[in-house]
Amino acid sequence: MAVLDLIGRDSRIDTILLIEPDVYKPHNVARHYFPAGRCGEKKAELAAEWLRERRPELKVELLAGDLCDSNNSDLVESMVARADAGVCAVDNDRAKSHWDWLMRRHSKPWTLGEVLAGGIGGFVHMFVPRGPCFACVMSQLQREVRVDDSPPPDYSAPGNSVPEASIPASISSVHAIASLHALATLALLGDEDGRGWDATSQLIPLRGVPNIFDKALSTVRLPFRRLPDCLNCSPGKGPEGDLMDALMILNQEAGR
Amino acid sequence: MGILDNPVSKERLLNVELPAIQAYNNQRDSEYRVTVEPKGGELHLKYRLKPAHNCYELLTILSESYPVVAPTTRVLTKLQQCPHLLYQQTLCLWKQGSRLADSRWDPARFTTVFAIQAAWRWLACYEIWMVEKAWPMPEAR
Repeated sequence: MAVLDLIGRDSRIDTILLIEPDVYKPHNVARHYFPAGRCGEKKAELAAEWLRERRPELKVELLAGDLCDSNNSDLVESMVARADAGVCAVDNDRAKSHWDWLMRRHSKPWTLGEVLAGGIGGFVHMFVPRGPCFACVMSQLQREVRVDDSPPPDYSAPGNSVPEASIPASISSVHAIASLHALATLALLGDEDGRGWDATSQLIPLRGVPNIFDKALSTVRLPFRRLPDCLNCSPGKGPEGDLMDALMILNQEAGR
Repeated sequence: MGILDNPVSKERLLNVELPAIQAYNNQRDSEYRVTVEPKGGELHLKYRLKPAHNCYELLTILSESYPVVAPTTRVLTKLQQCPHLLYQQTLCLWKQGSRLADSRWDPARFTTVFAIQAAWRWLACYEIWMVEKAWPMPEAR
C-alpha cells in the first residue's frame, strides 16, 4: 500500500490498474493506512477509495482477485497490455514469477520492492525488457549476496509442522523500502526522475547486522546480468501444440 | 488451479521440461524411463533409479507453483530411517527455506532432470550410509 500511495500521488500518473486479492484483516491494521473498522473489506477497494479521496481525477481500475488464477488471465493480460510500467509489491515468489512472465510477455519495464525479515534492509529491483528476468536475478542473488545468517530449519520436525520463523518488519522499514521502490518506479517515466537510475538491483541495509551488514544505509548496487542459459527467459523452442498431447507422446515413447 | 492451468508452468513444461525428460529417456532402457502423469493439479513423474546394486522406485511431484517451488521427490521403495530423509520418505535435497532466496533450488538453472540426478546422488549416499552408517557428504545440512 505504501508504494501505491506514493506513486498514486504523482500527477504524471493518470491511471492505476490494481490487482490485489486479499481482504483487510486485523493483523494488517498496524502496518496499513486503513482503520480497524474497515477489516473484512477487500484491500483493493479500500486502496482505490484512498487514492480517489486524494486524487479524484485518477482513474483506478481494480481486479480484486488472484493474479495467478487462470480465471482472471484475460483481464490481467488486458490490464498489462495497456500499462506503461508494472509495480510488484507482493511477498510470495510465485506471484513475483508470474508477474515477471507477464511483463516479459508484453515487453514492459517493472519494479519490485522486497523488505527483508525483521526489516533489517530490503531490495529494490528494476527490470526492463531484454534485461535479466526475475529468475536470473534470484539465481545470482542466491550465490552472490548473503542476507540471511539464520541456521537451517529443524529437519527433525518434517512436513512443515513447525512454521518457519518470520520476524515482521517495522512500518518504518516497510516505508523506507517503499519510498525507494516508488522512486525507482517513477524513474521509469524518464525525464529528470530517471537520471542516474538504471536497470539493476539495489540492496539497502537499514541497520547493522553482524556478519551481514556493517552499516545501515551503505547501499550495495548489484549489477546482475541476464544469464545466457536461463531456463526462464532464454528457453529453447519446445514441441509445438497442446501440453496434454506432448505428455501422451512422451509416455508412449517411454514405453512403460 | 493446477500446474496445467498455469500459463507460466505450461510454457516451461513445453519449452524446457518435456524436451529435457525426452532426452533423458532416449538415453535409457525402457525400465528406467520417466513417465509423467497429471494428478490433482500436479504432475507426477514416476521412474526407477539404480545407483549401485539396488533398484528404487521414485516419485517426483511438480506442484502448481513449479518451477518457482522446487519439485519434491519421494522414494516409494521402503528405506531404513536415515539422515536427510523427511516425512513419507521425501528426500531432503534443497529445502533450506521456503523462499527462493533461501533455497538451493534454482529455477533459472535446474530442470526436473536435475532433480532426478539429485535423487540419484542422494540414493548413492544412502547406499554408502547403509554400509558405513555415516552420510558421505558431511557438508549436507
